[in-house]
Amino acid sequence: MHRLATTLQAPFHWLGQTALSWSFNAGGLALLTLQVLRNLLPWRWQFDGPETWRNLYRVGVKSFPIVVVTAVLVGAIMVIQSGLYIEQYGAYGLLGWGAGYSILREVGPILIGLMFSGRVGANNTAELGTMKVTDQVDALRALAIDPIGYLVMPRFIAMILMMFLLVVIGNFTALIGGAVTSQVLLDVNMVLFFQSVIAYVLLDDLLHGLIKAVAFGFAIAIISCHFGLSTSGGAVGVGRAVNASVVGSAIAIFVLDYAITFASL
Amino acid sequence: MSASPDIPGRPSGREPSNFREFLSALGEPILYLTRTFKELVEMFGLTLYYMARGRTRWRAIFEQLHEVGNRSVIFIAVTLGFLGMILIYQAGYQAEQITGDLQLLGGLFLQLLLREFAPTITAMMIATRVATGMAAQIGSMVVTEQVDALQMCAAPPVDYLVVPRFIATTIMMIVLTIFAVLVSYSAGALTALLSFGLNVRTFIDLSFIGWFDLILCLSKALAYGMAVPIIACHAGLNVSGGSEGVGRATTNAVVNASLAVVILDFIITSLGYVALSLLPS
Amino acid sequence: MIRIENVTKYHEGRVVIDDVTLTIADNTNVGLIGPGGCGKSVLLKIVCGLIKPDKGRVLIDDIDVHKLKPTELAELRFRIGMLFQNYALFDSMNVADNIAFPLRQAGETDEELIAEKVKQALIDISLPGIGERYPNELSGGMKKRVSFARAVIRRPPIVFYDDPTAGLDPVTSSKIFILLRKMQHDHNTTSVTISHDIEGIKDICDRFAMLDRGRLIFEGDRPAIEACEDSLVSQFWQGYSDDELNV
Repeated sequence: MHRLATTLQAPFHWLGQTALSWSFNAGGLALLTLQVLRNLLPWRWQFDGPETWRNLYRVGVKSFPIVVVTAVLVGAIMVIQSGLYIEQYGAYGLLGWGAGYSILREVGPILIGLMFSGRVGANNTAELGTMKVTDQVDALRALAIDPIGYLVMPRFIAMILMMFLLVVIGNFTALIGGAVTSQVLLDVNMVLFFQSVIAYVLLDDLLHGLIKAVAFGFAIAIISCHFGLSTSGGAVGVGRAVNASVVGSAIAIFVLDYAITFASL
Repeated sequence: MSASPDIPGRPSGREPSNFREFLSALGEPILYLTRTFKELVEMFGLTLYYMARGRTRWRAIFEQLHEVGNRSVIFIAVTLGFLGMILIYQAGYQAEQITGDLQLLGGLFLQLLLREFAPTITAMMIATRVATGMAAQIGSMVVTEQVDALQMCAAPPVDYLVVPRFIATTIMMIVLTIFAVLVSYSAGALTALLSFGLNVRTFIDLSFIGWFDLILCLSKALAYGMAVPIIACHAGLNVSGGSEGVGRATTNAVVNASLAVVILDFIITSLGYVALSLLPS
Repeated sequence: MIRIENVTKYHEGRVVIDDVTLTIADNTNVGLIGPGGCGKSVLLKIVCGLIKPDKGRVLIDDIDVHKLKPTELAELRFRIGMLFQNYALFDSMNVADNIAFPLRQAGETDEELIAEKVKQALIDISLPGIGERYPNELSGGMKKRVSFARAVIRRPPIVFYDDPTAGLDPVTSSKIFILLRKMQHDHNTTSVTISHDIEGIKDICDRFAMLDRGRLIFEGDRPAIEACEDSLVSQFWQGYSDDELNV
């Protein structure tokens, strides 16, 4: 009898628990966003220069190599994929457009965003999570230092700024990777490739991608800080927090991408 | 603690010059990469060895199939669904502006989905959700000495922990890629209908799809499915230090797995291109 | 007989174990003491082949542990039991499966015999009837005792105990030491026990070794350690500090 009751309760138990954890995270994310935005108000503006500088350096330097490698390969892949069609129709002049358009608007920001979330977002969650489980965050509070101002704000600023810059660099290196691939593998002259990029790819496309970059940076910063600061339960908890953080960031990247695409066309 | 003068690999008593520092900054990541690559290949070989020699633990495999597959379904559906909507939106907009003809949209989208986006983005998502989970779980087992305990009980960790994860992820990567194609295509069809008024029957167009596309899609899924669990388990088994180490391992797992996906994508796409240009169509 | 010969281990450019040579005869119980972070756990893991030393070798019954093939090492480990500092219970298995794991790994397939042995093991650690529970439902002391039961379920002739009483209250600690002593008396085991609980291991060990910063600074029996002139050893043994302790 008891066992039957437990079995019957299980789905509801699961449902309730899932709903609770979703509500907790949604509320936490909204609250953190508000707190961050409030800290950005001019009369509350506290700027921890050295800490921000340190974070800019770490975020940028840590993710630079991986972004460059990813971008070069992505450029190459997009050129090969467009090349498969271009060859069919013999429209070699459109290769630069096909690859450039897709890289600048979609593939570049999405893939660099996913890499950034893996490298910087996950690292950030792990770091804040470790501080949380070893009581360092409480120690900050005990010293009357606001964790939002001291821990979150510098990371927030660093991540948005660096995401923007990395997408700029990534776009550029992706186009170079694409040009080299078109020369080596597809036998399409590099000059022709770049002419096609310059002629057909508009400033609009570049800006479209950069707006996405800033939005992704914002989302990754908020999500990774939230899951880091709500970690509990030792080493296992840190692992779980990192997992939740990267999953949340990936969902946010695709949803935001859709929203921006939808709003701008 | 005082360092002894004869520590291997560390020259003592010499001033570090700028050039030296430059060289070591250049060499360190290369050394790290080659060492990691070697360890990964070794672990892959060991995994295949135990798969062939050891007994199959069906229960563990089913647990992992559930963990990798069932628990990723919603995540894959959301992300790949949105991807389908985004791609159709961008492509449809361009097609409308340039040619005004949306007849080919569905057919070409399916082809591109099979060739590139479905396997690669699915694998990136699995690298995100599953690789971090595996690295975190195995990493905390290392930290709490459970992996040492396995060894003391004469149960090799690769056999015990890596093999079931490897089998489950490889199977599930293929299954989820097929699922991703379906979800993404349906979302795309819906977007085409709602935003461009394109009939679903016109959108569903299989005439572009050939064996080449299917083989490319499945070989990518297979390669990613084998690479991701090996990288994740490697990161997990190499944890040192407490919760900080576990955090570092999960980060490494997701970064290395995603990078491996991109690199494998590049290799397989190039091979596919070369194969296609060699074959008379 | 276990012989540790000139074992040295580096970690990230620091010496963790510094040229340690130690012989442990059969049927002796060695207490390994020393300040925190001096390399006791590392030394133990080197002895059972979990960590490879950078220099030196370890012989168990004249077999070099670190030159064995994986299958031979597995066979050797059937004769070694180990109680880990952090319990190291598999949290995906219940208590009964945890204790039965070494038996099943050794190729035992008779489930009735396994169940019988597990039941007896749980009675031995005076925790009967918890076989169905999972490790995360147990208290620290219970986990240590379950971990002990798992370490000795194969009745290994050699047992290593890595800090069996860390973080436990005095009553639970004494229960664990009673289990250890029972194991020695009933099965004539050779054992190494790491502990900070000097009072506890005074009675269960017949020889003592002390490590300090990776170096072996003392080795001998109880009268010898009580008479030892070295201030580090005598302070550690008596648990006081009359001058500034160099730790």
